[in-house]
Amino acid sequence: MSTKPKILVFSTEKISDPAIDLAGLLKKHYPNTVYTISVPCSSGIKPRWIMQAYEKGFDGVFIAADGTDCPYGESCVEKTSAIISVTHDLMRQKGLKPSQLKMAALCSVCADAFVAHINNFTKELAKKDN
Amino acid sequence: MTDNQNAAATCLDETQFDVMVIGAGIAGAESALKLGDMGYKVLLVEKEPSIGGKMILLSKVFPTLDCAACITTPKVSETARHPNITIHTLTEVETIQRNSDRHFSVQLNKKPRYVVEKDCTGCQECENVCPVITKDQFQFNLTARKAVYIPFNIANPRIALIDIENCMLCGACEKACPSNCIDFTQKEQQLQITAKSVIVATGFKLFDPISIERYGYGRYKNVITSMQMERELAPTRPFNNVLRPSDGKIPDKIAYVFCTGSRDHTVGNPICSQVCCMYSTKQAQLLMGALPMADISLYYINIRAFGKGYNEFYLQAKDMGANYVKGKIGKITEKENGNLILRFEDILTGKVTEKEHDMVVLSVGLLANPAITKVFKGEKLELDPINYVQQPNMLQSPAQTSLEGVFVAGTATGPMDIPDTIMSAGAAATETSSYLKRLS
Amino acid sequence: MKKKIGVYVCHCGGNISDYVDIEKVKDAVRDEADVFLVKNTLFACADSSQKMMEEDIKTQGLDAMVVASCSPKLHLNTFRGVAQRGGLNPYNYVQVNIREQDSWAHSDNPAGATEKAIQLVKAGIARAKESEALTSMKIATTNAVAVIGAGVGGMRTALGLADMGTEVYLIEKSFFVGGRTAQWGSVAPTNDRGDVLTAGLFNEIQKRSNIKLFTGAELIEKKGSVGNFDIKVKIRPRGFDGNATTDEIQKAVKACPVSTMDEFNFGLTQRTAILIPQKGQYPQQPAIDKALCNQCGACQKINSSFQPASTNEEILSLHIGGFVANTGFDPYEPAKGEYGYGEIDNVITLPQFKRLIELNDNELVFKGKKVKKIAYIYCVGSRQDDDEGKNKYCSRYCCTSATHTGVTVKNKYKDVLNYHFNRGIRTYGKAELIYGQASQQGDVFLQFTLDSIPQVERKHNKTYVKVKDILTAGKTIETDADLVVLVTGMVPRENVELGHLLKIPEGRDHFFNEIHMKLKPVETVIDGVMIAGTSQAPKNILETLNSSMAAAAKVNSVLTKGELSLEPTLAKVNPGACTWCGKCAEACPFDAIVQVDNEGKMVAKVNEANCKGCGMCTPVCPTDAIDLDGFTNAQIGAMIDALAEL
Ligand SMILES: Cc1cc2nc3c(=O)[nH]c(=O)nc-3n(C[C@H](O)[C@H](O)[C@H](O)COP(=O)(O)OP(=O)(O)OC[C@H]3O[C@@H](n4cnc5c(N)ncnc54)[C@H](O)[C@@H]3O)c2cc1C
Ligand SMILES: Cc1cc2nc3c(=O)[nH]c(=O)nc-3n(C[C@H](O)[C@H](O)[C@H](O)COP(=O)(O)OP(=O)(O)OC[C@H]3O[C@@H](n4cnc5c(N)ncnc54)[C@H](O)[C@@H]3O)c2cc1C
Ligand code: SF4
Ligand code: SF4
Ligand code: SF4
Ligand code: SF4
Repeated sequence: MSTKPKILVFSTEKISDPAIDLAGLLKKHYPNTVYTISVPCSSGIKPRWIMQAYEKGFDGVFIAADGTDCPYGESCVEKTSAIISVTHDLMRQKGLKPSQLKMAALCSVCADAFVAHINNFTKELAKKDN
Repeated sequence: MTDNQNAAATCLDETQFDVMVIGAGIAGAESALKLGDMGYKVLLVEKEPSIGGKMILLSKVFPTLDCAACITTPKVSETARHPNITIHTLTEVETIQRNSDRHFSVQLNKKPRYVVEKDCTGCQECENVCPVITKDQFQFNLTARKAVYIPFNIANPRIALIDIENCMLCGACEKACPSNCIDFTQKEQQLQITAKSVIVATGFKLFDPISIERYGYGRYKNVITSMQMERELAPTRPFNNVLRPSDGKIPDKIAYVFCTGSRDHTVGNPICSQVCCMYSTKQAQLLMGALPMADISLYYINIRAFGKGYNEFYLQAKDMGANYVKGKIGKITEKENGNLILRFEDILTGKVTEKEHDMVVLSVGLLANPAITKVFKGEKLELDPINYVQQPNMLQSPAQTSLEGVFVAGTATGPMDIPDTIMSAGAAATETSSYLKRLS
Repeated sequence: MKKKIGVYVCHCGGNISDYVDIEKVKDAVRDEADVFLVKNTLFACADSSQKMMEEDIKTQGLDAMVVASCSPKLHLNTFRGVAQRGGLNPYNYVQVNIREQDSWAHSDNPAGATEKAIQLVKAGIARAKESEALTSMKIATTNAVAVIGAGVGGMRTALGLADMGTEVYLIEKSFFVGGRTAQWGSVAPTNDRGDVLTAGLFNEIQKRSNIKLFTGAELIEKKGSVGNFDIKVKIRPRGFDGNATTDEIQKAVKACPVSTMDEFNFGLTQRTAILIPQKGQYPQQPAIDKALCNQCGACQKINSSFQPASTNEEILSLHIGGFVANTGFDPYEPAKGEYGYGEIDNVITLPQFKRLIELNDNELVFKGKKVKKIAYIYCVGSRQDDDEGKNKYCSRYCCTSATHTGVTVKNKYKDVLNYHFNRGIRTYGKAELIYGQASQQGDVFLQFTLDSIPQVERKHNKTYVKVKDILTAGKTIETDADLVVLVTGMVPRENVELGHLLKIPEGRDHFFNEIHMKLKPVETVIDGVMIAGTSQAPKNILETLNSSMAAAAKVNSVLTKGELSLEPTLAKVNPGACTWCGKCAEACPFDAIVQVDNEGKMVAKVNEANCKGCGMCTPVCPTDAIDLDGFTNAQIGAMIDALAEL
């Protein structure tokens, strides 16, 4: 079972985490090796946390961003992308593939979208591992 | 504070309030929140099993296209959790009578849920076992639900209730419930409360297009209302795609008929509904996103894209390829394969033309919901000529009604969109607080 | 570091325990360092369970608590309450979601769900270990508000606030209150008179002792944050102090040698350097227009209350808790030659026409000629094409106002004919009835598109309007007109300094921008600074009043308690590591980061009253000197480590 790729999800407390809750509520299944840490806003995720996850053994990190629904304003979209690009640089330096970091904007009821993203991401990571 | 969370509430006096807000749509919720934040004790009465009104059921909202659920649920849960707000769902106001001390005596009728509110965890085990299948009113009859059901995923409170009219009393839910909260002995409760002031936030009714026979709504399966389309487009939608009802096919030629039941003396509604041009434009944009190949034609008289960012939003829809046709629909006929022929006068050419579509959405208008006037005893809450709550001081104090101490918020005063509703609700809060300050 | 952690794992009556092996979870975490006790509950949220936890905290001396149950969206506050009642700081409580994000999400895989539950609970314990007690700071606030602008909007805001018990400083730039509404005569949809409406509002303001009105006044300085702003207001000398009879005032006006166009009548008439209040403008006291006065002293000779030489500018310092900007709009001024404006004599704007109606009682006369045929051209300055600097937006009020004006003139002067050259009439809502009325009285409606706009021409001493009318399948229709009325839109007032001072962002349409159109339509990104009325977007009077009173409700609800509790989860700067590069201040959307001197070194500091705890400032710091409470490197790092184990 633990051969499945391990994914760390950063969700946001008000917008994307409710979508992940809803996926569970609707019993829409996804791999159990997906773990979520929820923060107030996706533009507050530090690149070093993401790097730490890879160092400690996560295969992929998924940022469930707020997109334009962010309660802290629209600049969130731009700032989250900036974090991704900074992290991509760090990842290249460490020999990690940029595809190990994914981001998608999820609204608070985007349960299907979350499950679809996660299942795809898992598949992609599993392929690359072999 | 919802009624299933009343652990802390018992220590408060639950019969005396500064304000009673009738209707927990976005207008009622917003007024309640503002007054609660000011420190007043608010009672929020809602006749449906969930708060949130129409807005909580919408897909995305114009002109920003944010997800309606994402912006409604935080407001709704803030309302539900607010220490100064008490909520009664499934409750209707029976009578309101002014006392000699100017306070209002109110009789409420709280319908039974047959589920113990404070114990239900929303696990849906009961839904799984209930054998009854009936139409789901919260999906505007697009899908079915059980006799015991949670109204919709993001309902607040998110707890079950039993539709006793359709229940077979088989008892299956009772056995399945892990927290033993099914209770068939619940009765209607008459609650007596007093409130120093009242806010009427009873919202609007949707026009029922069944009365416009030439459009064939109710007879032609693929003629639906815009509210049904809202549900098809919502992230919490019943199907995973936009489907036409007759055969579950994904439609690729969709028509919108604007002003259905509005600007129309023959149906008794001469005014414009103010939101349907824009919500149709929004739906067109969402449909073009979901079905990139589909042809979306919108048959309109005038486009009322007047608010902040609205004209830009309309131009954007045109740029995306929405086909706006200036023309009044004469008649719709159904073909054997379920497709529909629209006959209309194309204003730009002056010619009567026909065009085939595989699905038709009626952009239904908003109507007044005047029933609340009946509950006032011994005095009259005046209505305007089109049955909305009258604003006797419209250009001085828009939230005032014909009755002292009774204020009005949101679409109870006339059709309006969400931003205008929120502002009107804020105005009602100011007016109510000012009144309460004068009283004391 | 917490050392006595209590861990509770909930069955949720089977919702969790049907899929997750609770005993296994308990066994797996029991031996984690610093875990003092591990218990299970059938329903953690039940009263009896809550009491048990409270007792445990008290009797066992727990210093942190973890409940693994449902989503924190449901019960985070419930258990924070439990922690508090037991004597713990609520922020030493951590909730672990093993229902929505575990037992239900993996109900197809109980073994996997159990495995994940163990990891999640361990991460929760790690987070609890690193948790710090947080208290929400309270700051005392001042229940006083500066309302900027005294049109209908600002006056209504002021009255609303005053009646709810808030002190109001009403600051009006011009020498008179009333704004634009005072200019309009009969207004839609009620046929109230604009000047009567502003008179009514002013009278009410006079009755309130807690509204202080300043005219000729402007905000010049602002410091502080929500609840406590220190501001300075500059008051220009009015040039009139005392009393004068109507007769004396008239004489003074006659004596004044200056002549300029009267902006109240949009240049239809002339005025002198003495500003005389018009109907609907208050206070009903003259003022001297310093910019034009040439100090001849003629007025002063008539009555010494006129003081043209007076220079005693006043600067007031005020302490307030919040702002409402009600600064209104300006009518769009057409370019020279736009539809013949400024070139053809009888082309005027709707605002001018509204004044003309007020100036003509029995007969409608323009420049000495009787007016019978009026051509209205709609959307002037609105719904323009995409070019830079053009207004793409619809001005909202104008279709209603122009059709209403058509009805008004027909009633007032009987024998007029109205031709409306429009782009699709937008009389939304109940205003549709006015459109119906205009049609019924015989007004002609012709419709054009942006590709073929009406042509206004002067031929044979007459003005003609020609259009390709789409309502008659593109037929070209021409009519002569005694008066062409350009239905001009709304543009924001020039208010650059105020926007800067209050840090109010502008939208694409250059009106002030709200933080969120639906959730917070009257709030800006700066806490305590509201926007209302037409400063935010075009509006009619009703909508202006609603938004103004909504702004009043919001700012009152923040200030009325006299204290503000700040979010306890705030950003914190480590001054040792900070090198003041300013990146965090740039990233913060709420203007919450300021530069301060810390023992001789410039560093960033978080203004607690403004910080919303979004954390946007934290990833941009090159030296990792900013952390967000509750989401510190230590906490998140410990969680990542715990989740990665195995
Ligand atoms: C199809 C459609 C799409 C729309 N899309 C958008 C959009 O994209 N953007 C936008 O800005 N606006 C949109 N709108 C408009 C929006 O729905 C309204 O502006 C908003 O819902 C009005 O809120 P309200 O609270 O005034 O009324 P309502 O939502 O009608 O709420 C009234 C509440 O009062 C309750 N109630 C009624 N009578 C009683 C009683 N006697 N006792 C107790 N409770 C009572 C009702 O059950 C209801 O919960 C749309 C409307 C429709 C029809
Ligand atoms: C031709 C025309 C006809 C109209 N007809 C109708 C109608 O029939 N019905 C209807 O409902 N609406 C009508 N309107 C709209 C109506 O005029 C506005 O809704 C209303 O005036 C808006 O009020 P306000 O307070 O927002 O702005 P304003 O009336 O513009 O008032 C703003 C005030 O703020 C002051 N100010 C600006 N900047 C500063 C500053 N920096 N410091 C201090 N003070 C400042 C100004 O001096 C002014 O007094 C019409 C508009 C026009 C142009
Ligand atoms: S008792 Fe009624 S609600 Fe319950 S399962 Fe049977 S039919 Fe359904
Ligand atoms: S908003 Fe548009 S569709 Fe709705 S009634 Fe008005 S003109 Fe018709
Ligand atoms: S309200 Fe009418 S005149 Fe004004 S900009 Fe909009 S469409 Fe044009
Ligand atoms: S946490 Fe957000 S609001 Fe607070 S200082 Fe940082 S960026 Fe600004």
